[in-house]
Amino acid sequence: MLKIENLHATVDGKEILKGLELEVPAGEVHAVMGPNGSGKSTLAYVLAGRPGYAVTAGRISFQGQDLLALSPEERARAGVFLGFQYPVEIPGVNNVYLLKAAINAARKQRGEPEVDAFEFLTLVREKMRLMRMDESMLSRGVNEGFSGGEKKRNEILQMLVLEPRLAVLDETDSGLDIDALKIVAHGVNTLRAPQRSLVLVTHYQRLLEHIVPDRVHVLVNGRIVRSGDRTLALELERRGYDWLIGEAA
Amino acid sequence: MSSAVTEQIRKEYGAVHAALPASVIEPARRAEAIERLCAQGLPATREENWRYTNLRVLEHARFAPVETQSQAVPPLPEALPGFVRYVFVDGLLRSGAAGSHPGLTVRSLRTPGPSSSAAWGPCPDVPEARLALLNEAFATDALLIEAHANAAPAAIELVFAASAGAQAGASYPRVHVVLEAGAELTVLERHMGAPETASLVNSAVRADVGENAHLTHYRLQQCAPRTAWFDTLTAQLAAQARYHLLTVGTGALTARSTVHVRLAGAGAELALSAAALADRQQSHDMYALSEHVAPNTRTTETFRGIASGRARVAFNGKIAVRERAGGSDSRQSLRGLLDGPEAEVDLRPQLEIYTDEIRCSHGATAGKLDQNMLFYLLSRGIAPQTAQHLLKWAFLEDVVARIECAELRRQIERDLASQMSAAATLKELL
Repeated sequence: MLKIENLHATVDGKEILKGLELEVPAGEVHAVMGPNGSGKSTLAYVLAGRPGYAVTAGRISFQGQDLLALSPEERARAGVFLGFQYPVEIPGVNNVYLLKAAINAARKQRGEPEVDAFEFLTLVREKMRLMRMDESMLSRGVNEGFSGGEKKRNEILQMLVLEPRLAVLDETDSGLDIDALKIVAHGVNTLRAPQRSLVLVTHYQRLLEHIVPDRVHVLVNGRIVRSGDRTLALELERRGYDWLIGEAA
Repeated sequence: MSSAVTEQIRKEYGAVHAALPASVIEPARRAEAIERLCAQGLPATREENWRYTNLRVLEHARFAPVETQSQAVPPLPEALPGFVRYVFVDGLLRSGAAGSHPGLTVRSLRTPGPSSSAAWGPCPDVPEARLALLNEAFATDALLIEAHANAAPAAIELVFAASAGAQAGASYPRVHVVLEAGAELTVLERHMGAPETASLVNSAVRADVGENAHLTHYRLQQCAPRTAWFDTLTAQLAAQARYHLLTVGTGALTARSTVHVRLAGAGAELALSAAALADRQQSHDMYALSEHVAPNTRTTETFRGIASGRARVAFNGKIAVRERAGGSDSRQSLRGLLDGPEAEVDLRPQLEIYTDEIRCSHGATAGKLDQNMLFYLLSRGIAPQTAQHLLKWAFLEDVVARIECAELRRQIERDLASQMSAAATLKELL
């Protein structure tokens, strides 16, 4: 599904990713963990194609396609979804419009007709119930006046509606209380499927109690320094990152 | 340039003054307006409050009112439910049920009628009101709207259309709105024109809002692309009066609106919301003075302007709080969006305070589209151009969303989308 080879990326001229290697097969959930400043969010943004994040070397292949050759909107339509760490507020553009425009952009790409209005609302309502979101939120501006937790739930709602092939969730657990975390985790778990891959970028092991990963990778100073199964996350919880930083240096 | 132009104005006035209707404005007052205008001179860009106005268009203008009434009126927008419509062509009332609606008297002063207690005195002697003098000298018609005390809420639509024959001269829309105590009225004012019309429109509007009265005033400037539109609006608010003024400007080559609202009675409130969308070589300039004279008065001012191409958008919002206006409150939020390297946005919030114990807050920012918002939309698969249209749309929604009449809001939204050439991409929102 996703194969990253020798990825080097710079932000404002500073190299953040320094030869990152990562492979996520279809149907698997991988967690990328690491200390502050190790390059986790940079990896997420590079995958989504954010301007200002320059790839200076390496390859990213997504379903056999060269991901780096695609613009951000082409990546989204091809099935890449980024759940933002800090979702922006866009007053004046309402949530339902954004959802519909996003769904139709992907359908158009696949040569399908626009989504039927009734079918669309039924789908959105079902997913909103799952995320325990109030329907009145649909007519509000995107994330406008939402609490931190509501914004994160809205990210997951969008993901559930768009059904991406590859979802990259950047610190989706940060700022969530335990109840919200469970709702978000439940939402994510419903999307686990053989044809879909998930990359969870996180600081803490906590999220992984609710979304059990197939693999855990540790990102330190721009490279994956260790990979393992879910017990690696438990070990990190116990020992912190210092011992790996020492090894990486 | 001024003296040559004022001479031209005097000459044109000399040629037509005998034919100007005395019932609209008395001859002596017209003559006085000309004298005052010539003595003061026309506004010039070296003056602080006219810096951003394209005044060059006045150098080649014909000032005498359009004589022939062309039949070629641009297609009028769909009528709005609940609004009584009056149509003016080249400044003259063409259609509309003149007479009385319940609680409301509306009449054209071109037809001599009973004198009204509502007098529109001579223009205030302030430099910003000079173009109203020009209107006073040349006006060929005036509409007087009186909403009587405690009458049921009513809504009136005024369409000022420049015909295809308007090139031959200027038109001078003139409206006086009077709300007696406790009255509630909505006035929608549209300025528009036939597509190829290169005319000069110079309007003067006055609103007197009585005690506890509530005036909602929508103004849409959708003039033809080659029009020069000048406008002077003065309003006086009595105690506890509420004035909601909302303007949306998309048309004309040059548009300048001068607004002076006097909060003269205690507890009076002004909510001024303005949106401007300018492209190509357009220049949109608005000067708004909110003068707090009485205690516990309140102004809320919101401006959103987008300049694309080589256009210029300017908003100069001045709030003056006089000695006796203690306890007053004013808020200004001015924002400009630069859409292109050659576009220009000039925002000037000004405060002039002569008393203590008041609250004033203001913010003014001009910048490009928010890159974080843009990327967020792209990351959801939305095409770059659609994303840009959406964000521009959302920017103006801060103002447009305040329009309470849903049908009117939809009309304006459709107009904005078509001005942005985004009607197709934004169709889901319209």
